[in-house]
Amino acid sequence: METRPYFVLGDIFSNVASGALIGVVCAVLVPHGWHMLVTMITGMVIGMVTSLPVAFFLSGLFGAMETLLPVMTTGMVAGMVVAMQASLTATCLEDAARIGGLCGLGVVTATYLANTLIRRRATRWTT
Amino acid sequence: MDDVTRTKWDKVAATYNLMVSYGPEKRWEPFKRDLFANMGEGEILFLAVGTGLDVPFFPEGRTITGIDISQKMLDKATHRIDAYQGRLQVLQADVHDMPFEDNRFDQVFTSCTFCSVPAPVDGLKALKRVLKSQGDLFMFEHTGSQLYPFKPMMDLMTLVTRKLGPDMNRPTVENVVAAGFTLKQVTHVYMDVVKTIHAVA
Repeated sequence: METRPYFVLGDIFSNVASGALIGVVCAVLVPHGWHMLVTMITGMVIGMVTSLPVAFFLSGLFGAMETLLPVMTTGMVAGMVVAMQASLTATCLEDAARIGGLCGLGVVTATYLANTLIRRRATRWTT
Repeated sequence: MDDVTRTKWDKVAATYNLMVSYGPEKRWEPFKRDLFANMGEGEILFLAVGTGLDVPFFPEGRTITGIDISQKMLDKATHRIDAYQGRLQVLQADVHDMPFEDNRFDQVFTSCTFCSVPAPVDGLKALKRVLKSQGDLFMFEHTGSQLYPFKPMMDLMTLVTRKLGPDMNRPTVENVVAAGFTLKQVTHVYMDVVKTIHAVA
């Protein structure tokens, strides 16, 4: 697991900030009252497309794959969750940013755990 | 020489260090140092020197021949190559058409290379040709992922990144085996995406 403070804080910042940004974008773009399945797919697409340039920019500061993959996952999750929320009920931008940021925090935590498990398993794949 | 690939990397040369010299290199430095610590006393081929970002991680006193397809990338590497405390010579060459005799090198090292080689299995076969029998291939590579949601993401990213430089979804471990190497060890650096690979010819 990554323990260097610059990268740990960078990972948290990257995902929380991009989640908040994508939350706001989805709250602005997704109208109230859309069909839930359409909303979910639209939110995922908006999130992934928006997160791609953000992830490329942040990867120069905090690491290539270690930034690209979590930030794009955050984009997908935050886009989906906030778009569905915005479709169900009127969502202010502050709430959208908060929900998106929390999604980012959840994703970065999940990727740290997944990375730890995968790296442990890899040691058993050696021949 | 593959002019399409050469031109692509010539274009990237001006901004390459800006994109990868800080975050990615700092993040991967300990893993690369561990891998390059395997550099022995014999003749070593280092594939895709680029702008020389990996050179400071090489152990001192080794005999290394480095190649890269882009002369503009190599031009950016000059000061790092000059600073190396050992014998390091570089030349512009395509992995598919290397100007080396068979069985010349004791070890081959690559670093984020086979995401960009146009015909990766053929490129790996070319490495096998210049490696001595039982010679070591050590690779630091990013590959595709088998995990959802990373696999579709990396397929999507490749549509963009292929135009700028690397593919994000290469099955490099499988390619190493397909080229006739015997796999000795695969270590995961990040998820199932960034890996070190040790194989023998």
